[in-house]
This record gives sequence, C-alpha cells and structure tokens, in this order.
Amino acid sequence: MDWQALTLSLQLASVTLVVLLPMGLWLGRWLAHTEFFGKAWIEALVMLPLVLPPTVVGYYLLVTLGGASPVGRWLAEHFDVRLAFSFAGLVLASIVFNIPFFVQPVQRAFETIPHALSEAAAVSGLSTWQTFWRIELPLAWPGVVSAMVLTFVHTLGEFGVVLMIGGSIPGETKTIAIAIYDRVQAFDLTSAGRMSLILLVLSITALAASLFASARLVARR
Amino acid sequence: MNAARGSVSPTPPLAAQTLEVDIQQAQPMALCGAFRCEATELLALVGPSGAGKTSMLRVLAGLTRPQQGRISIGGTVWCDTEQGIFVPAQRRHVGLVFQDYALMPHLTALHNVALSLLHLPRAARLAKARHWLDHVQLTPAEQARRPAALSGGQQQRVAVARALAREPRLLLLDEPFSSVDQMNRRELYRLLAQLRRDLAIPILLVTHDLNEARLLSDTLVVMDAGLVLQQGSPEAVHRAPRNARVADLVGIHNRFHGRWEGPSGETGWGLLDWTTDGVDTGSAPRLKVRDKGRLEPGQHVTWVIPGAGLTLLNRGPESPNDFEAEVAEARSLGDMTLVTLVLTSIGRAPLRLTLTGPRRPEITIGARLTVRLDLSLVHVMPQRLLLTP
Repeated sequence: MDWQALTLSLQLASVTLVVLLPMGLWLGRWLAHTEFFGKAWIEALVMLPLVLPPTVVGYYLLVTLGGASPVGRWLAEHFDVRLAFSFAGLVLASIVFNIPFFVQPVQRAFETIPHALSEAAAVSGLSTWQTFWRIELPLAWPGVVSAMVLTFVHTLGEFGVVLMIGGSIPGETKTIAIAIYDRVQAFDLTSAGRMSLILLVLSITALAASLFASARLVARR
Repeated sequence: MNAARGSVSPTPPLAAQTLEVDIQQAQPMALCGAFRCEATELLALVGPSGAGKTSMLRVLAGLTRPQQGRISIGGTVWCDTEQGIFVPAQRRHVGLVFQDYALMPHLTALHNVALSLLHLPRAARLAKARHWLDHVQLTPAEQARRPAALSGGQQQRVAVARALAREPRLLLLDEPFSSVDQMNRRELYRLLAQLRRDLAIPILLVTHDLNEARLLSDTLVVMDAGLVLQQGSPEAVHRAPRNARVADLVGIHNRFHGRWEGPSGETGWGLLDWTTDGVDTGSAPRLKVRDKGRLEPGQHVTWVIPGAGLTLLNRGPESPNDFEAEVAEARSLGDMTLVTLVLTSIGRAPLRLTLTGPRRPEITIGARLTVRLDLSLVHVMPQRLLLTP
C-alpha cells in the first residue's frame, strides 16, 4: 500500500480544485450568459479534453511546456520552474484536463437561471457582484457542487496525462493511479487490489454524496 | 428651485415627479413614441402582444438602453442618448412588478423583499421588509415561506411589496392581472387603488385587457408594432380614436366605411357618404357630421359611432338619420342583451350594441327595427392604408 501516492493524489486533486473553482465559475457563467459569433468554437475547445486521448493532451502539454520548448526554457531561466516531471506541471495538466468536467455542469447550472431573476435583482438595486453572490451562485450551487466532486474524483483517477507529463517520481509525480499500474507491473496484485479498492470506495462515496446533496438542494426550492 | 421646495412642504411638489418619455428606436426592434405621466396618475399601456409594451417598460426600468431618446422624471434625467446619459437599473429606484413576478426561488418572501433594502443594516432591513409584507396583507407564516409554497396571488403581492420596498419614484406593472383569478383580481384592484392614494408617483400598467385599462387608468397609451399611436384619457380615445387601427385596438366594433365629401356649408359640419366596403353604389346615404377640418374631399375614411349615439325605434324610418335594420343575433345575459343588427339598406353592414335593463320582447332574431343615429357623435378618421398589392 503506497500511502505517499494516495496523499499526493489527494493533494493534486485539492490544488486543482482550488485553482479551477474561480476560473471555471467565471468561464461557465460567461459561456452561459454571452452569445457571440464563434461561441461554438470556444465551447468545442472547452470540451476537447473530453474526447482526446489523455496521451494526446499529455503529449501537447509536454511539447509546449517541456524543458526543450520556448515556454519551458523561459520559465526555467526566469523563475527556475520546470513543469515537465514536476508537481507544478502535474497541477497545470490536471487543470487543463478537468476544464470540461468543471465548466460544463457550471455552464448548464447558470443557463437554467431565468434571466428575469438577474433583471429583478438589478431593478432591486443589487450590483452585478451582489447578484452573483446572493442570487446566481445559490441557484447554481447544485451544479457547482457536482462540478467540484466530478473534478476531484476525476483527478484522483487520472492516469494517462499524469504519466505523460509527470512520469512516476515518488513523492513528486507518482499518483495513486500510477502506483497501481506500477504494482501490477511488479506482479504485486495484493497491493494493486487494495489501492484500487480505496480509489473505488472514495469515488463512489463522493459521487453519491454529491448526488444526494444536489437532490436535497433542488428539493428545497 | 430649492427655495420653492423650502421647509414648509416636506415632499417635492407633484409636478416635479412627472415622467417624460420620448423614444425613437429602429433596432433591434421598432420602439417609437412620446408620452408623459404625472405623479399619482395611472397610465395604461395597451396594445396587442408584440406591440412593444413590455419593451417600453424595460427601457423605463433601465434594463435596456434605447437607440435614441430621452427619459426624465422630475428633474432627474435617466436617459439622454444625445448627451450620453444613461442611469442603469440599479440606480433608478424603479419598482417593477414582472409579469411572472421573478421572485427568487431560494429565498423566503421576507428575504425577497429584503433584497430591495440591502443598503440598510440587517435588522432594519428585515423589519422594513416585514412592514411592506404586512402592508400587502401577508401573514407572518406566509412571509416565512418560499415562493413555491405561496399561491399565485400571494406571490404577486410579494412582488408588489418588493417593488414598494425600493421606495420607487416610478412604479411599473407588467400585465399584473394576467395570471390572477377573478377573486384575487378584485383584491388587486383594491390594492392598486390604495397604492395610488398612498404613493405620489407615476404608475404605469401594461395590459392587453381594454376593459381593465378603461376601468383603472387615467390615461391610455395605445401601442402597435412598437409605435405609440395615441395617448389620451380612456373616454377621449374611445370617443375619437386617431385612426382606424386605434379604433380596432381599443375594440370599437361599429366601424363603417365612407367617403368624405367636404364642408357642408354650415361651419363645423361636413358631409360623409356612407359607402359599403369601398363599393360605391351611387346611392350611398349622405350624412351630415362634425368636421374637424383634417380631411380632404374625396378621401376614403373610416367612421365610428359610440353606443350612446344609437337609438332603436319600433317603427319605420322617419328621418334621413333613420336606417332599416334586422336583428341577426340577440343574446341575453341577465340585465343586458348583446344585439347584432344588420343594416338592410347599407349592404347588410353589421351593427353591434348592448342593451341594458329588462329583456325587450321585440328583440328577436329576424325582427325588423329602425336605428336612429345621433350624427353629432360620429367620429371620422382617415382610413388605414391596406398594404395589399
């Protein structure tokens, strides 16, 4: 049982979520409220990681951000940051890969809020910010919660992208999914089975809890 | 100005609260017209659906910016496109009651109203919200419920309370009666009458129900296809619609065709040939009616006559103002009878009238009567141009 890998996975999922939450809320709300020419292309871009093989996403991230790339070199020279085969790189990859899982439910949630409610809020004197906190976010909350859970669980289980950009450095980039693969390769099926079970229980609990919570939230209306 | 207000009268003079609107917009939809509404006055915007009534309300509330125009209330300019002034909805202090109320589903009635009072500290906010909900007669138990647990009429009263809590300078009501049943409607009429007494602000009401508009408003603004066609008191608009379209929109049934023949020789009176559907038979009766000097001789016109200008006689025609008629339909509804006559000498043109009082036995289908027209009540207007090739 590789506790270090599990801790690393939980850390990665938490950091991803913290960074993605404000970003995804903004992007999802913007896509829900704005109509413009070429919106379909932006939406397609958001959904792309959903249909591309993780290895392809990982490959492009490695090519654009790796030590040999201009961006990678610039980051290394000026900030001493190396994204390839590091935890920071893993976080970035994980954010990119989770955009559809977060933005889609958030966008749907904001889309279902009747426009008249925001207008009623404006006429009542609420600023855009007040309307967001007091009206939109509470109404979109079930969608936001499911987006958060989906992102968290999905990050815990992500394998392909992590392997491409992070490799398998213990304590740095070796997440639980990599550790499981590692154990199977070493014919240590007992360990692999135990870790798989933990991941399974964790995921199903989180999903069930989010479904239960959002059903409660919706019923309260 | 300040001296005029002085310390004697605590509130600014009513004239200072007059709403003045002048909008010219072609895009994204046509919206044109000018009207004004004094404080304490109730103005009804009427017209068919798609006439731009709600769009006009949205412009007044500051939810949409008109292409061109000026809106001011009292001394405050809310919008002046020439000077680049546009006060957004947040800062206008308008009370708007949405057609479907637009209450926040996740907040209780009390917190919905408190939303208009965010500038106050929490305790004062809730106390004031409670005050307004008491004012519209919602019990404390009902105040603690979410909108989904309230009836339509209660939801509407919450929406009204929320609008009032804003301490509005202008109250806008979008189809307030459309989804309220007859019983709640009466209560709402009473609430509206009370509001007019309590608030010294202009009140604008959007409705497609003309009877309601006539019953409640001081001023009608008739709209069609985004244009304001006429403004005036309900009586004036019904007595003298500006054109055939207005007559159509305000539900004047007895509309006839004619050709204007010009002055009669007597000042203030002109001659009108009563033609049937544009077909000139050469034997069209000639009527002597009031002339306002706005029509060209030979012009095709539409003319109307109110119910008060019609008398039924149980004998043959005696004067040039008498016309033979036959009862085509008679429906008795308690104290009133709705009658449709056809004028046998005028190409069987239909004439509708409502008789009040006890049922009259001579009004049976097929019965022959005489209708006398009071020609001094006839109103003549230019015919609507028909856009057919």
